[in-house]
Amino acid sequence: MTHSPDNQHPQNTRAIMGFLREHAPFSFMDEAHLAHFAEHAALRFYADNDVVLSPDDGTVTDFYIVKQGRIRGERTNPKNGQAETTFEISLGECFPLAALIGERPTRTLHRASGDTFCLSLDHDSFVTLFSESDPFRDFCLRGVSSLLDRVNQHIRSGAMESIGTSHSLDAPLDRFALRNPIVCSPDTPIRKAVALMHENSVGSIIITDDERKPIGIFTLRDLRTLVAEASAPLEAPISQVMTAKPTCLPAHADAFEAAMKMAEHHFAHVCIKDSENRLIGVVSERDLFSLQRVDLVHLARTIGTATHLRTLVSLRSDVSRLVDTMLAHGADSGQVVKIITTLNDVTVRRVLELNRQRHDPEISFTWLTFGSEGRQEQTLLTDQDNGILFSVPDGMTEDQVRERLLPFAESVNKDLAECGFTLCKGNIMASNPKLCLSGREWDDWFIRFIDASTPQNLVYSSIFLDMRAVYGPMGPLTELLDKVLTRIQKNALFQKMLAENALNRRPPLTMFRSFRYAPDGEPHTLDLKRQGLSPFVESVRVFALAHGVGAANTLERIDQLAKKGVFDTKDANAWKEAYSLIQAIRMRAHQDLLDKQQPLSNYINPDHLNPLDRRILRESFRQAQRLQQKLEVTYQL
Amino acid sequence: MLNSVKTWLSRYRQSHPEHGEMPKPKALQQQPLEQARLVVLDLETTGLNPAKDQVIAIGAVAIRGNAIDLRDQFDLILRRPELDITETVLIHGIGPEALTKGHETEDALLHLIEWLDGDPVLAYHSAFDKKFLEKTLRQQLGYSMGHAWLDVAELLPAFFPKAETGGRGLDHWSEHFGLQASTRHHAAADAMVTAELTLIVLNKALKDGIFTLSQLDEKLRHWRKLSRMKQY
Repeated sequence: MTHSPDNQHPQNTRAIMGFLREHAPFSFMDEAHLAHFAEHAALRFYADNDVVLSPDDGTVTDFYIVKQGRIRGERTNPKNGQAETTFEISLGECFPLAALIGERPTRTLHRASGDTFCLSLDHDSFVTLFSESDPFRDFCLRGVSSLLDRVNQHIRSGAMESIGTSHSLDAPLDRFALRNPIVCSPDTPIRKAVALMHENSVGSIIITDDERKPIGIFTLRDLRTLVAEASAPLEAPISQVMTAKPTCLPAHADAFEAAMKMAEHHFAHVCIKDSENRLIGVVSERDLFSLQRVDLVHLARTIGTATHLRTLVSLRSDVSRLVDTMLAHGADSGQVVKIITTLNDVTVRRVLELNRQRHDPEISFTWLTFGSEGRQEQTLLTDQDNGILFSVPDGMTEDQVRERLLPFAESVNKDLAECGFTLCKGNIMASNPKLCLSGREWDDWFIRFIDASTPQNLVYSSIFLDMRAVYGPMGPLTELLDKVLTRIQKNALFQKMLAENALNRRPPLTMFRSFRYAPDGEPHTLDLKRQGLSPFVESVRVFALAHGVGAANTLERIDQLAKKGVFDTKDANAWKEAYSLIQAIRMRAHQDLLDKQQPLSNYINPDHLNPLDRRILRESFRQAQRLQQKLEVTYQL
Repeated sequence: MLNSVKTWLSRYRQSHPEHGEMPKPKALQQQPLEQARLVVLDLETTGLNPAKDQVIAIGAVAIRGNAIDLRDQFDLILRRPELDITETVLIHGIGPEALTKGHETEDALLHLIEWLDGDPVLAYHSAFDKKFLEKTLRQQLGYSMGHAWLDVAELLPAFFPKAETGGRGLDHWSEHFGLQASTRHHAAADAMVTAELTLIVLNKALKDGIFTLSQLDEKLRHWRKLSRMKQY
């Protein structure tokens, strides 16, 4: 295939190339490959309900893209013999990838949903594209996951931009590279060069000429290759095995530039030169990125030892900056959420300690957190959901203990609010006498909760059934949890009610696979938390409680359910991926709002996302629908 | 496209010393709809009067097996530098420069006849295209064999009598079915939209038990009779 300028293609070929260019993975493909596609395609029409592909058609040969309309996948439910829609394929999406790659018939009946046009590619042309275009092959083999990587790259680069203006990576390079780099001449034997590195415990050595100009670099990684491949004797001169012309930056370049260079070229060291091209230092990836690790450890330590509430308050902005950094370094949303939770926990503990220093109630208690904090799924937008589980000292009544603890709890709630943990509107806080209870009282509370499940109770299930201890002895909570889980496992009716409740929040997709906007909030917005994450969180909770999974974290619950065989491993992975992606988009939106100094909100307008994000978001919502379907089948709803 | 035409022409001239062996037009007979090759064509002309106006551009696609096969398409601008085309240039976007890049008329038309391969031709308001094309072929090549023509503007209301399109134009029907022309008043793009509408018609025809070209022709005759009766 030769590349040819656009105007050499006939109009209709150009038009199809234009269509393809708007959709991933074609948007990542070379012009020549797109032209090949457009010139070899056929356009087909299917009226509403027409069968496009059937399992009876035999081995799939053609590749399809929806050009207009939609295709739905249909499988017969073995239980009731009814046809169920298993997936929908809309504009710009391809099918049937798995069957095509597996060279087998499709397992799902593909039907047109509305009047539909598809572009098809016969097997020969498909094979040609598959072998010649990397992005196309990647997409065919890995499907939507390959696009997910691109979204993550995108999130990463977005966060990188905001990092560029933050302090640490903005700093000039020579601040990181002041140490005297270990150097040697090109004729130094390898063994001697390695000995030099060893003596100075460094990971790299720079080979310089007589004027101290860097001409090569040799790193531990090179040494590993050298040993593994036995490519040169250790007596050979280092110049034989060094990487020539190492990447250099001037001293006034900033750390961000170095980080970008390293990320771009996958090497771990950059030489710093002065204006005469002489070596003045070397910066390693670890030097740059350990900064961020230090940040986390250091920040946690600073929070944990703060002596005043106002110090804690001021440290909150550092947490937000750290989240940015973590996203930029490719941490996935699950990790970032956990880090936020960790730092929040440290803050809560410190607030409790500071309050005890001022006024110790002298009662042994466990500080409980519920809801998203209980699940370790907090983002920057978080409110307080907490309670107290206390033990009753001899000679005191439960009410007397409560009387002593409540003023303390109230002070803690107030201080936490100052640190940015919004006061809970529903008064689910430790200062509420109904949530400051002894072990026995909590147990009674849960018995009532489970046995007399009112609609109001069920609303609370998302809060109280995701519970975790943050401070104080863990024993009393473990004891309580055991009883609660056993009770739920025995109570099929409660499980069914929970399941029903979990289905109240549907993923925001319409029958036509476009987004269903949130009923409240700004027009044309989606509520990523209530409409996107909740369907996952709530469905997974039902399965977890029904199978005695004690973890409160949604991803951990999914993992354990997969281990117990409740979830298929593939499904479990798809659901984790989808859940994490919605979470990542939500966090990015939060960071954007913070940058603009606007109040945090969970609403986003999908029109403001790029087409790829939009599509992946839609795919993620579809996974939520599948999870809910599983719930419906399990509990026959 | 240009190169492929040149290659084809040199081969054609070697094997056809004179224009004696032109493909013969096929009548609308028992050819199954699902197998027949149908050509969907659109012309751009210098004006609306076949007696004095000329063809500027020819765009066509082929339908076979109920699909538009993009390997089998025709998109050419004729070389007509002697024509005054200022009148319609605004509509078509084809200026004198684009025209001179086009083909020697005779070569292009020869290629078209060969490419048509005698297959039935469909067009929107086909009477217009038929008159222009037949006149051009006769004047330039002395070719006077008539292809079988089918009018997509008739097929659509015949198969979708209840469609509320708000008009009888190509745009009305495109809009009705949510189609989008990549660019309007471009012969190839208009041929494509017409072909997409044809696919919709063929889909419906098969469901209505119409399986051959002659049945399709019959259906049209019947529809014409009906609509004439309605007028009284």
